[in-house]
Amino acid sequence: MNPLRGGWVVLMSLLVAMLLAVFHLPESWPDWLGWWRPSWMLLVLFFWVMELPERIGLVASWVLGVLVDALLSQPLGLNGFLFAATTYIAWRFFERLRMYSIVQQCGVIFLTILAAEIARSLVMDLDRNYALSWTVLFIALASALIWPLLYVFLLRIKLLARVE
Amino acid sequence: MKTTRASLETVVSPIYLIAQSPYLLADQVGDQVSSHSSLLEENHELERQIQELAHVSQQFIALKAENDRLRELLGSQARLPHEVLIVEVVGIVPTPGSFELIVDKGSDAGITEGQAVLDAGGLVGQVVSVAAFTSRVLVLTDPNHAVPVQINRNGVRSIAGGAGELNELHLESVPVSADIVEGDLLETSGLGGRFPSGYPVGRVSSVVVEPTSAYAQVIVTPTAALDRTRHVLVIFEASINASSVNGLEIGELERIQP
Repeated sequence: MNPLRGGWVVLMSLLVAMLLAVFHLPESWPDWLGWWRPSWMLLVLFFWVMELPERIGLVASWVLGVLVDALLSQPLGLNGFLFAATTYIAWRFFERLRMYSIVQQCGVIFLTILAAEIARSLVMDLDRNYALSWTVLFIALASALIWPLLYVFLLRIKLLARVE
Repeated sequence: MKTTRASLETVVSPIYLIAQSPYLLADQVGDQVSSHSSLLEENHELERQIQELAHVSQQFIALKAENDRLRELLGSQARLPHEVLIVEVVGIVPTPGSFELIVDKGSDAGITEGQAVLDAGGLVGQVVSVAAFTSRVLVLTDPNHAVPVQINRNGVRSIAGGAGELNELHLESVPVSADIVEGDLLETSGLGGRFPSGYPVGRVSSVVVEPTSAYAQVIVTPTAALDRTRHVLVIFEASINASSVNGLEIGELERIQP
């Protein structure tokens, strides 16, 4: 009935997250909206690790991260490391995270993504002179604000597709 | 490392194509439903432009022949003509502070790293990595990009570096005494061997001389439409064989000065 136990749903959602990560807004839209792009990949990954900690591990998220490095033309391994680190947080504390209220989850998401984005900025600065800017804060805020919607949406999909 | 990255990019580049598809679809639909009168109007406008450009290119051919003769007299080599490949921009790398474009042709069309990229207005940037079906173009305005330039009016040489701002380049280490004024046209100097010489880069939009600094701050506005352009040209040095690129649109570039 359910041979892959819904694995294709996880892959599809990660693919959609990748699309959202590179989608560019129409030229007529204001420029500043582009600075508020949530960290879609990390959010979706965080959700699946939290819900299915026994299926998605560090190696899988590292491989995904390396693909994202190629996608965003960032230093190879940077996103691999960031994804694996985020996965570790979600994997280590998944029981606690599931018990948290949605507001507390948003707080955890905000701090995790802020840390990841600051680490990314610092490495990018070493590699090619990008200064640390307020963008990291915008990305973390946007991610925390979109998390409740994404959480409810993915939870619904998870139940509908019987991902277990 | 380069080949690993290229093969990874080949795997993930379809994502850019899919992300671009709503815009491509909208273009198609727009073409289908545009009204007869607007098409007619566009047609007239294009015809008028062809007339103008044909006139300029006649002069250009005569000037080129004259230039070649004079160069021959001087004993210097004639400039090689360049060939171009028209490619479509299918994506923008969303990393904040970086300016990179994804274009829809790669090593399948013979594109190699380091080729210069132009649009109708002037220099856009250079190819920095090539996957099988897409390549990445580093745009002039990226903080890691710099291009050797000279001033079209008097040949003063400088280097135009990206500042991480859209539509802004900075000339690096310009002495306060340099003869650069607002409105000067900068073109590639060809020094350094990466960019072919003589393509427009930008216009000087402001020159600020601080009494306390040994250098003038010169800000340049690129002539290429960096944030709007849909189609760009990849420049091939004349060596490429037209048959080796599977009949893609390649024509001799006849650069037309306004």
